[in-house]
Amino acid sequence: MEPILRCINLSKSFGSLPVLRHVSFDIVPGEVVGLAGRSGAGKSVLSEILTGVETPSEGDVYVAGRQVIWPFHARAAGIAVIRQQPELAERFDITTNIFLGEELGWSIAGRWLRVPNRRQMDQRAAEVLAQLDTRFNSLREKVANLTSEQRQLVAIARTLVWPAKLVVVDEPTQQLSYAYQQRLLALIRSWQRDGAAVLFSSNNLDHLFAVSDRIVVLREGRSVADLRVDVAGREDVVAALVGMADRQQLTPIIWALDSYYRAREQAEKLGHQQTLLEQSLAAQDSLNRQLIDQLAVQVSALDSANLALQDAQRRLLTEREQERKSLARELHDQVIQDLLSLNYQLEEIEVDAVEREQADDLADVRASIRALVEDVRRICGSLRPLTIDSLGLGAALQSYTRDWSTRTGVAVALELDDRLERLPEAIELSIFRIVQEGLSNVRKHARASEVSIRLRHSSPRTLMVAITDNGLGLPRGFDLAALAREGHYGLLGISERVALLEGRLHVQNQPGGGAIIQVEIPHPRVNVREQSATRILRAK
Amino acid sequence: MGKAATVTPVRDRTWLRRRLHWGWGALVRRQELIVFLLLLLMSAALGLGTETFFTGTNLLNIAIYVSWFAIAAFGVGIAIIVGGIDLSVAAVMALAGLVCASTLQQGLPLPVAILLGLLSGTLAGLLNGALVSKFHLPPFIVTLGTMGVARGITLGLTNGAPVRDLPEAFRLLGQGALVVGPVSLPLPLLWMLLLATLVSLMLHQTVLGRYIYVVGTDERALLVVGVPTGRVKLLAYILSGALAAFGGMIMTAKLGVASPVAASGYELDIIAAAVIGGASLFGGEGTVTGIILGALLMQITRNGLVLLGLPTFWQWLTIGAMILLVILLDFGRRRRV
Repeated sequence: MEPILRCINLSKSFGSLPVLRHVSFDIVPGEVVGLAGRSGAGKSVLSEILTGVETPSEGDVYVAGRQVIWPFHARAAGIAVIRQQPELAERFDITTNIFLGEELGWSIAGRWLRVPNRRQMDQRAAEVLAQLDTRFNSLREKVANLTSEQRQLVAIARTLVWPAKLVVVDEPTQQLSYAYQQRLLALIRSWQRDGAAVLFSSNNLDHLFAVSDRIVVLREGRSVADLRVDVAGREDVVAALVGMADRQQLTPIIWALDSYYRAREQAEKLGHQQTLLEQSLAAQDSLNRQLIDQLAVQVSALDSANLALQDAQRRLLTEREQERKSLARELHDQVIQDLLSLNYQLEEIEVDAVEREQADDLADVRASIRALVEDVRRICGSLRPLTIDSLGLGAALQSYTRDWSTRTGVAVALELDDRLERLPEAIELSIFRIVQEGLSNVRKHARASEVSIRLRHSSPRTLMVAITDNGLGLPRGFDLAALAREGHYGLLGISERVALLEGRLHVQNQPGGGAIIQVEIPHPRVNVREQSATRILRAK
Repeated sequence: MGKAATVTPVRDRTWLRRRLHWGWGALVRRQELIVFLLLLLMSAALGLGTETFFTGTNLLNIAIYVSWFAIAAFGVGIAIIVGGIDLSVAAVMALAGLVCASTLQQGLPLPVAILLGLLSGTLAGLLNGALVSKFHLPPFIVTLGTMGVARGITLGLTNGAPVRDLPEAFRLLGQGALVVGPVSLPLPLLWMLLLATLVSLMLHQTVLGRYIYVVGTDERALLVVGVPTGRVKLLAYILSGALAAFGGMIMTAKLGVASPVAASGYELDIIAAAVIGGASLFGGEGTVTGIILGALLMQITRNGLVLLGLPTFWQWLTIGAMILLVILLDFGRRRRV
């Protein structure tokens, strides 16, 4: 077969330094020739001569029968090149670089007055890059901004938009990761299948043996061996590379080389795996973040619902207190006054009464009316302790507990903090209600004979209310949440009030028997002037 | 809304800011914009400082003067973009004008005379291009030599005497105007706009234009894909010569005299105009719009200094300082790249 490439006696020196000395070889179409040589052996210079970038000092290069002197001769003869360091037009984008020298489009006149068709080129560039398993965010990216691997991929893509007869591949694998190295080797095989010749220069023996038909070995600018891969082994190549005939000495070198490449390959694979792992981790992470975000949204929605609920509760309680207050006023100012005036009228009738019997009856009725007034007074008191508005929490509690004690026969010890001052109405009322509920609880469930109520400041801004009894104590397995289901709302009411005041509630049994309810309520500092103003107001 | 609501807009804003920043950076980096603003500033200052600047005659004069100046600068711009320079531009202008004028006086028809004028410029460009691309000589030295040769030929051809009494038809090319309704467009300005369009289309819409830019910075990238870069450079110098010749003929037609010492000293002004307009002396950069703006700036500066009545040495000093400043800017830009 007619060789596609014929190198005859090539020599090249830079100044007095010889780089290539009398190198001759041929490549026929469909053949992959490996070029092995340590760095400085002249591989890159050879590829530069083949593509016409350098002119040989001596000797000739023929491609398909035509001599190559200038780069455009090589190109015209069908030589494409992938170099170790890709040569790109740095200020232009990916598509422009891929099609540099092969622009698609319509021509006004000749090759150079061609108007490039961007869309057509972009489309084709995307296809070619897909063939390399590569994607770029934008084909408009300047190549100067790409990584060295991406730049090399652009250079490789360049050879795919144009059918080359001979591809000179000059050690591009150093810029490529493991996956793309394998891709390149597959590409070399596909070129071979399509009938193109490949000159593949590499330092990696595995790569060379994977694709080459023959391996030409350069040492110090000379071609020292031309070995067929199916006959020769790596020992022969290494022997030629280092110039040793002794097999004994060679084996360690091969081992060293081999294990070096293995290690590098493994490292590449590991790196690849790690990238994949990182990607999946990143995906997982973003999923988690989304979930957390959703959760946060839901929690905040719950929070606001809760706040609204508390607000409603607070309004409900305030309105109820308001209602009770007006009811109590009504009873006190109307009903009791009426009853009392009835009493007076009866007294007058009694004085004027003639008959003894009638007078006794009247006395009975008046006693009943007085008892009724007492009852209504008590009801008023529990509806709304009138004393709380005028005299404050302490007085109201004193009067209420005394009353309660006489009514129930349970001894009550009330202990008030000396520093107890007037508090905001809502807080005073709440504490009063808490004590009320607590005592009614004691009466209903505890069967206690003594109750002690203590009000004191646990800190200057917190009031602690403790209700202790010597009764049965809390039942075993006491659960605040379960109370509502069983229809007991007393303790629950306390806990709600405490929650609205942003306080804390403890319910527990005492070591010596009986239960203790402890409530801690924070309260604002009451402005002294405001306080006195309210007092004056109340006094009026 | 917890974190999600606060984080996302913040991220969006930085993204936007980055985009804006990028946008501003790109605008400011465009030398054309700076030159344009400078032009506006200078025009405003001259308009306030003198009574004659904003008169129709003066502005028309500037426009006509700028035309041939800019046409020559397009050519030099191309030479600069391929990474070279063309010092012979002013001498070629004079040569082409003289060749055209002499042949007209010999009685040759106008089209032939114009073609010969263009040919003289093309040949000068060919000489420059061949020496630069074939023998890899430094463009500065080569074009300096061509400048001497061209100037020598003009002096030799005429024995130093200017050629006068040019035919009416030829003078019309530089003195006539295209009248469309109320608008009268001086022909030199028309030639400039026409060539600006053509050169711009060539630079930005054709493969050749792309190669011209790439040769300036990454010649090897073209070499390895088989583009004969030598030919690209050769073409660039030929274009430079031809455009200089065209500019020279327009100048001669307008002035009505072909002097062997015409346009002497213009080469530096023309190169400065191209560089001020954004053409980088390191190659690979420059636009037609920029060159026109640069030429305008140079001309308005000269015109303004004359109108202000400053002595001639002030003109030299100012123009020289501007050239130095622009070259410094170009170096600074290069270092950042």
